Amino acid sequence: MSEHAATKLKPADDPAYKLPACLGKFQLPLLGGGLALLLVGLFLAFSVQSNEDVSMPRFGFSAYLTAYLYTLSICLGCLFFVLIQHLVRAGWSVVVRRIAELMMIMIWPMAVLFLPILFAAFQENALFAWTNPDYIAEFVPERAWENKKLFLNPTFFAIRAVVYFTIWCSLSLYFWRGSVLQDETGERAATDRMQLWSGPAVMLFALSVSFAAFDWGMSLAPMWFSTMFGVYFFAGSILAAHCFICVSAFLLQRCGAAKDEITVEHYHDLGKYMFGFIVFWTYIGFSQYLLIWYGAIPEEAEWFYTRQLGSFAGISIALVLLHWLLPFFGTMARTVRRMPAVMALWAVYILIMHFVDLFWVVMPEARVGHHAHVGGALGVIACVLCAVGLLGLVLGLVLRMAASSHVVAVRDPRLRESIAFENF
Amino acid sequence: MSESKVEATDHGMVAEFTTVDSLLAACRRVRDAGYIKTDAFTPFPVHGIDKALGIKPTILPWICLVAGITGTMTALVMQIWMNSIDYQYIISGKPFLSLPAFIPVAFELTILFAAFGAFFGMWALNGLPKFSNPVFTDPRFDRATDDRFFLYIDSSDERYDEEGVRALLGETGSDYINKVVEDESPKQVPKFIYSVWALSVAASIIPLLCVLTMRVTNSSKPRFHIFPDMDFSPARDAQQTTSLFGDNRAMRPDVPGTVARGQLSGSMEALTGIDFDALTAVDPGAAAQLVAAYQDEAAGTTTPPAEPVDDTPWLDHIPVTVDEALLARGKQQFGIYCSVCHGMSGLGNGLVNQRATEKQFDTWVPPSNLHDTALYSETYPDGKLFSTITNGVRKMAGYASQIEVQDRWAIVAYVRALQLSQNAPLDVVPAEKQAEVKAAVEAAKENLKRQEEAAAKAAAEREKEQN
Repeated sequence: MSEHAATKLKPADDPAYKLPACLGKFQLPLLGGGLALLLVGLFLAFSVQSNEDVSMPRFGFSAYLTAYLYTLSICLGCLFFVLIQHLVRAGWSVVVRRIAELMMIMIWPMAVLFLPILFAAFQENALFAWTNPDYIAEFVPERAWENKKLFLNPTFFAIRAVVYFTIWCSLSLYFWRGSVLQDETGERAATDRMQLWSGPAVMLFALSVSFAAFDWGMSLAPMWFSTMFGVYFFAGSILAAHCFICVSAFLLQRCGAAKDEITVEHYHDLGKYMFGFIVFWTYIGFSQYLLIWYGAIPEEAEWFYTRQLGSFAGISIALVLLHWLLPFFGTMARTVRRMPAVMALWAVYILIMHFVDLFWVVMPEARVGHHAHVGGALGVIACVLCAVGLLGLVLGLVLRMAASSHVVAVRDPRLRESIAFENF
Repeated sequence: MSESKVEATDHGMVAEFTTVDSLLAACRRVRDAGYIKTDAFTPFPVHGIDKALGIKPTILPWICLVAGITGTMTALVMQIWMNSIDYQYIISGKPFLSLPAFIPVAFELTILFAAFGAFFGMWALNGLPKFSNPVFTDPRFDRATDDRFFLYIDSSDERYDEEGVRALLGETGSDYINKVVEDESPKQVPKFIYSVWALSVAASIIPLLCVLTMRVTNSSKPRFHIFPDMDFSPARDAQQTTSLFGDNRAMRPDVPGTVARGQLSGSMEALTGIDFDALTAVDPGAAAQLVAAYQDEAAGTTTPPAEPVDDTPWLDHIPVTVDEALLARGKQQFGIYCSVCHGMSGLGNGLVNQRATEKQFDTWVPPSNLHDTALYSETYPDGKLFSTITNGVRKMAGYASQIEVQDRWAIVAYVRALQLSQNAPLDVVPAEKQAEVKAAVEAAKENLKRQEEAAAKAAAEREKEQN
């Protein structure tokens, strides 16, 4: 309390609020390198697909979808982070909220980057098995398909995608503009407006993300269904978003920005959320597994059964041990959470595991028949290159946006409170 | 109450502050002066007060962690012991030890134990429950819940001396410094507390008494159903009707093409008791027909084979391994299915037969005495005996649907053992067991004699009474 009065705010044009040069200089390398890696990754992925030995006609686009969902999940997680901070009128997070906002606005370029997936949806058997009549005839009972095809057809798929992106782009633009304009005006009413709209926004977000996850993740296996899948995707997204904020804050501070503003207390709080969302992801993932395992109904169990065979069996076990158990104990201690460098390392680690998670969701469905495989070392490398490339491309754009604004919401009315924030 | 009333009841020194900043400054001073046994009281949580007072981080998280892990382990060990070892029960076709099913309970117990660890650990670390604190005696201390901040130094601190502490606190700018003395108010528990306590105990016994009363008394009223859907199970029994299926039968027929467990196991010889090679040699048509019949039966399409003709080449041996385990199994199965009519010793004097004879049912066909030489293996081959058990004979129904193939052969083996036991000379018994058998026979004779004597005596007495 007493510190609030003592906290001195720097003027809004202080260099500590600007993107530091040592990060800004990566803008072009990230844009160029990211694009190059993405193209190389895609080339490799399509060459794995055209290899005669493997029957994975959907491998190329699947690799792109994995990378796309990976990047998009971080953007969506950041969007949700911003919404929820406004919804609960959070004070602590103001110093790191701009990082989330920068990633949130990347939904706009992500909408453009969705075009290849939309294209694939209109091609027979390019990405979604439900575009392939042979697959449907063999694996989806006629009775089920009569109903499913009302939902799983390219036209409706495209309409839905447009709806999702309309929602996300509008939301991200509204909250981005609100925050950035406040940098200039310092208008308090802007905060009030954003708080007002964050309620309906969260509802729209929840529905759209759930259905997007059904469309782009769950429908890869046309017969499979899990009402929890949307939450599962969201759990990974929000976890990744907190990790992204944590590691970005660390890098910013290493380069000299926001050195006095972001304190160990904020890492402590981000660490708490990372820990919490690791458990949430596990809770949702396990709940989904438990129900399907217990019911053991063929059309439900098949999805997990596929992931218990071959190399995906190892990944399934690894997800339990490395996506939950290791970071669970790793980020549990207060001492650890109050060490920014260690938390940043954990954040990077979890971001890598988040990729493994989405790889495990998407890639097994690139196969034909029952036995999924990762496409050998080349297949794995191709998927990793795609993801690194796409993320790099987007990060380049993030730096571009950051250079033209601030890295902290400089005139937010709660900035002082946030800087003075202390954990009990 | 260890403090003597004669001694000075000096518990420590308390100082009042009006702002958080002055309190924090005072805390730092006191900490730097080396005092350890200190405490601060504020109307709301104050950031950084732990550091200002030099309070070490609590070990509560460790207690919590250990309690949580204990909870996980307790849940897992409990469920593994109950479900996988002590009382194995197939649930939903899962293995006895299936980890996913155990996780929800493990999760809950982890949370429960960790919460208990945190809650009671906090009590223990804070010395709770504590009903009074000497600082409450200070006339101004009530404002610690309102608008004043207090700093307290305990007199048990090594550096504590009254004047020094008073001077130190005075330097911090406190306007009000006061010695904390023993609470002189009476320490007896008020009488009415005992009454309340006694009444609560008495009241808590009432439900138990109600239950006990109901257990030992009779009532003409219908019983109270706590779980009606468990008392009146909606599950249907065999032969009942249901609206769930089109044919209104609750009992479902076998799905065509399915093979039940144990069906079609073993060779045709083991299934029919007929020497198939011999049958094929004399009557290939009949053999083929028999095979087809059994295959159709497995497919659920036709009735079981008709009784084979009597010139059938029956198996003259038991086509499964005969050992002690099989005989024990045969004895058990014989006891369950056969002895009610044939008697435990196979003499045809089972309880059903006794009653039927007593009541003189005219439709009753007495069961065979299994010690009839006509039923010995020379005239009644093993295969035929098996076929009789399987398909029945005269009034005896076939047991194919109730006794598994392996067990039917076990009964055949046991019947052969029974037959042998009635006429076996002593020298077939191993030398070391002969004495035992002799003794058993002597004892049995003795027993029989006693029973006869007792019966004769009883008869005599009855006669006497009647006279």
